[in-house]
Amino acid sequence: MAVTARTRLVNPRLGTYFGIFAAVFVALVLMALMFEQLGTPDFTIRLLMFAGPIALYGAIGVFCAAKETGDYFVCGRRVPAFFNGLNLAISALGGAGFLALTGVFFSIGFDALCLALGVCAGFVFMGVLLAPFLRKFGAYTIPSYLGRRFESRTLRVVAAASLAVPLLLLLAAEARFAAYAASGLTGQPEFLTAPLVLACVTATIIVGGMRSLTWSSAAKAIAALLALAVCATIVALMMSNLPLPQMTHGNVLRMLNRTEGSRGVPTFIAAYLAFDFPTEGLEPLAKRFLQAFGSVGTFAFVLMTLIAGAGIASSPSLLARIGSTPGVYEARKSLGWAVLIAGIVLLTLPAVAVFLRSLLLDQVIGQPTDRLPDWFIALQDAGIASVAGNAPTVGFSAVRFDRDATLFALPVAAGFPQVLVYLALAGALAAALAALAAALSATAAILSEDVVYGMHPEAAPEGARIGAARAGLLSTAFVAAWLAIASPADPLRLFLWSLNFSAAAIFPVLVLSIWWKRINAWGAMAGILTGLLVTAFAMLMGESGAWALPGVLAATVGLPAGLAVTMTASLMTPVPGPSVLLRVHEMRIPGGETLYDRELRLQRLKTRPTP
Amino acid sequence: MIDWSERKAYWRNTKVQMLASLLPFLLALILLPLYADALNDKRILGIPLGYFLACHGLIVIAFVTIAMFVNRQDAIDHWHGAHEDI
Repeated sequence: MAVTARTRLVNPRLGTYFGIFAAVFVALVLMALMFEQLGTPDFTIRLLMFAGPIALYGAIGVFCAAKETGDYFVCGRRVPAFFNGLNLAISALGGAGFLALTGVFFSIGFDALCLALGVCAGFVFMGVLLAPFLRKFGAYTIPSYLGRRFESRTLRVVAAASLAVPLLLLLAAEARFAAYAASGLTGQPEFLTAPLVLACVTATIIVGGMRSLTWSSAAKAIAALLALAVCATIVALMMSNLPLPQMTHGNVLRMLNRTEGSRGVPTFIAAYLAFDFPTEGLEPLAKRFLQAFGSVGTFAFVLMTLIAGAGIASSPSLLARIGSTPGVYEARKSLGWAVLIAGIVLLTLPAVAVFLRSLLLDQVIGQPTDRLPDWFIALQDAGIASVAGNAPTVGFSAVRFDRDATLFALPVAAGFPQVLVYLALAGALAAALAALAAALSATAAILSEDVVYGMHPEAAPEGARIGAARAGLLSTAFVAAWLAIASPADPLRLFLWSLNFSAAAIFPVLVLSIWWKRINAWGAMAGILTGLLVTAFAMLMGESGAWALPGVLAATVGLPAGLAVTMTASLMTPVPGPSVLLRVHEMRIPGGETLYDRELRLQRLKTRPTP
Repeated sequence: MIDWSERKAYWRNTKVQMLASLLPFLLALILLPLYADALNDKRILGIPLGYFLACHGLIVIAFVTIAMFVNRQDAIDHWHGAHEDI
């Protein structure tokens, strides 16, 4: 029985608090704009735009201290649906969405939709297949859900070890994106900003765990959405007289298509399995914006959409959030909000790319090399763009552009004051920090709950669990800082690999653990390990060029293999016992007490000291 | 609280609702982008139709799918008495 009325748990002043935050953030930007006009040195303004928002997020995180495990791991189960959806959307997109996806849209146009649609589809899969049931179960991490669902502590540790792979890849990718945005904002090199952002994130979430993470990430999401909206809306007003970039970029797109045709921009037809995303660093633009399947083949497009969908749906850093809603109904509803918010962002990003592309085609391509516009020269000086070769006029294929810089190259190209460029960077940094914090907190929770205390039959005392989670957070932060500095691969590729691993290793087992009663611990364990290993093998073969299947689509083999092995191994081993079946039956019904909370309560009653 | 005898019926309705939400969505998700190039000659609101359907259209379809799922599944919960106690 839920004793308290669910709706009464939610803080009714949340809207006011975040209204105040939004007002302070806007005031900060306006102040920076005034300082710039007054001639304050550039360094001071950069520092204000970098440290100001981070201090605000940090203050929110530190004020949300947590003393109980319920607060530390699931935010006391009182996050309303809207804020949970906001958090889900921003943690799923993160730096990979704001920085890299915009650049991919800019470079290969239509074909980048496979990733954007994958994120939306992922929320739909999560909402329909997983979220309500995981919320009813209410475990703090995915391995402890599996361990308790199948009554197998070995499975719990195996799942924790397997989930480390996608989580570490995600950590490395988001830390790289955050370091990139911070280095653009402060002007310092990335090997300095990577430890700096990780220290900031750790300090923000170490005091309150999920509670700090939820409320500081909600603030980060508001900052990121505001920053994106300001830049895209002003450019939309300039180019089409309507402040709705999501709808008005169509006319610009039509003109862009005509210009591209007259400038002789090439069209390509990609092989079915080709997957040619732009990599990090200066890259030429690939093809016409509107043409479909020039860089990504038709099969590869569909496969990437489905893999990204499965990967987002079972991403451990997102699923950790589901437990923090007040009830099953809110858990479902929060996914609706997540689709809505992510959808609006995903409609704005291609608009940004279209606007920048149209400016580039109008003002740079076809111009004499010695009469380039000022903004392009400024971008060249900043190392964001360049013109290869020494032909007298700039050709389409001669322009090189930094993929991750597209979002903040637009305010430069539109001739905005410098502060709005920093605002775009601060928004991207906020998104990357939110995703980084979510991945850090999920990894730390898995490390402490399922590795340190994983083999214990009963849950440890509250203080020990929180202490272990804090220690886990510190050590994970060190590992992530090292990964961010040492990992040589392109961060977008790391992000895609992480999606592949979570899709193949955990998605089939999670779905079957809810929708198929016959699955048992052996099947789950075999499925997780097979998915992980087959994906790793396919990835190696794809990256080395031995297979035609690209490495970033490795889950195409891994997911079906994991599914098949889970089902075969389950059918070959004994039927699950009556207590496991009873738990599955209870998990499928939304009403009644959260299963994990009930188990903890019963355990506390059992170990109560006798008077 | 739900009756024990209601569980089977509740779960059957839930399964049907899951399929009714996911299958049309998956069909649209896979098929729509494949026809984008052919549809781009036509325009809607000034946006080439193929791109409009694949980008705006699918995001709206995703939102409508999840909104209808939340609404219907809540109705199923109440019908069988499986809803949460408030």
